[in-house]
Amino acid sequence: MTIARYAEKLRVPICIVLVMGSWQLIYVLGMVPAKYFPSIFAIAVAFWQMLTDGAVISAWATTFLRALIGLVGAALLGIALAIISDLSPVMARGIRYVSDVLQPIPPAAFVPMAVFMLGLGPKLYAFVIILVTVWPPYLNGVSGLASVGAVQLNTGRMFGLTNWGLLWRVKLPAAMPEVFAGIRYAATISLIAVIVSEMLAGRDGIGFMIFKKAFALRTAEVFGLMFLVGFNGVLLNGLVNLLRRGVTGWHIRMMERHE
Amino acid sequence: MTGILTASSVGKSYGTGTARMAIIDGLELSIAKGEFVSLVGPSGCGKTTLLMCLSGLLTPSVGEVRFKGQTVSAPPIGLSVVFQDYSRSLLPWKTNLDNVLFGMRRLSMAAADKKARAAEIIAAVGLSGFENHHPWQVSGGMQQRVAIARGIASQSELLLLDEPLAAVDAQTRADMQDLLLDLAKRFNQTCVLVTHDVEEAVYMADRVLVLGPRPTRVVREIVVDLPKPRDQIATREAPAFLHARHEVMALIRGMRAGQNLS
Repeated sequence: MTIARYAEKLRVPICIVLVMGSWQLIYVLGMVPAKYFPSIFAIAVAFWQMLTDGAVISAWATTFLRALIGLVGAALLGIALAIISDLSPVMARGIRYVSDVLQPIPPAAFVPMAVFMLGLGPKLYAFVIILVTVWPPYLNGVSGLASVGAVQLNTGRMFGLTNWGLLWRVKLPAAMPEVFAGIRYAATISLIAVIVSEMLAGRDGIGFMIFKKAFALRTAEVFGLMFLVGFNGVLLNGLVNLLRRGVTGWHIRMMERHE
Repeated sequence: MTGILTASSVGKSYGTGTARMAIIDGLELSIAKGEFVSLVGPSGCGKTTLLMCLSGLLTPSVGEVRFKGQTVSAPPIGLSVVFQDYSRSLLPWKTNLDNVLFGMRRLSMAAADKKARAAEIIAAVGLSGFENHHPWQVSGGMQQRVAIARGIASQSELLLLDEPLAAVDAQTRADMQDLLLDLAKRFNQTCVLVTHDVEEAVYMADRVLVLGPRPTRVVREIVVDLPKPRDQIATREAPAFLHARHEVMALIRGMRAGQNLS
């Protein structure tokens, strides 16, 4: 009983110790050549050196900002596309065809053409990230808006809401929990898209750094950077969750209650 | 006499040609101000469609509904519907108070006055202290009381009640019946109650209108000659109650037998 409670409280450190322990075990047993699989300590030392020379900080800021801006753009565009789809069945079909075609294309496939068209600046990243990240908020938005019940809509109409009023005051608030589920998923995609784009565009950011270090076979530094990418995920998800609690806190509390 | 709500030659049908399905046909009714009228009929006769037409949420295919002399083409101020499905009718992201205020959104009053009025009506339905709860934090009966408070708060004169108590448990239902009668009197509400429950229809009403099978119309009017306030025990044992109940039930059973034969 008390052990279970301690385990619950210390779950994060326990997980970290387990992961690092397994890592170190693989290293000690020599399952992978040490050249490609450095020890935890070697990674920590390499990472600390990168931190102190400063390059990694600015690369991290560049990458994180790109992912964040891309995610915000994708979320807004996704919601806008969902609203347009809700208002017009013709547009809904058109947008769906476009999304069916574009969705399976990986970010890497967009980069070469985008570099020609948009150069290596922020436009490139905005274009690629938004193009691959927009779909989850859009799809969840469409389904969220469509699943608002007749009783709720009739209630809105009864108190004098027009179609626009229904959209803003009934449908969008009702669809927000589902939209946020899409945004959470999109956060992960935007991080992947930014790293891939940076690797291929080859100028700056964590993605480019990983690429460069990998070619130089600096494995300890590559692994250090990969952990940093993972940390970006935690940070971005944390930001999304903070916003989600603000906008749809009612829904989170309602779900917790119904469990 | 012209009532607060009248329907003349109202018909509603869906589809055309052989696929045409008539739900309402040639329906006439007139509700006087201050009355409590129950609408009962066999299952599937189109009661809810009728209520939607009366409220302006649906437009009749033919005929006309008038509220206070004006043709109803959209839900007018002064008329509100209380839906059976309160949990879907209340907006879950709003608190109970904000849900009631949502009902007052068309009224031109200062925000502070609206709040005071809303609080007064919430108190009248017995929910003081639950203003800042969300609907999903209170019981089903309480949720329906929030919905009723919201209806009244919209400066309603006419409440259209669409089986409002069908989803609450039996004991709560009896309390809610008396609460509704009390609120109707206190806030000068004319009420039209659609219900499956014949006893409830008779217990609540000054007048019961029996609807025929689909396409429906009013086939019988039964005046309930019972004193007010009603009492859950005494009223239900009164000869006039039993007589009215008998008449309505026999009519509906006859219609159902006819439906089964055809």
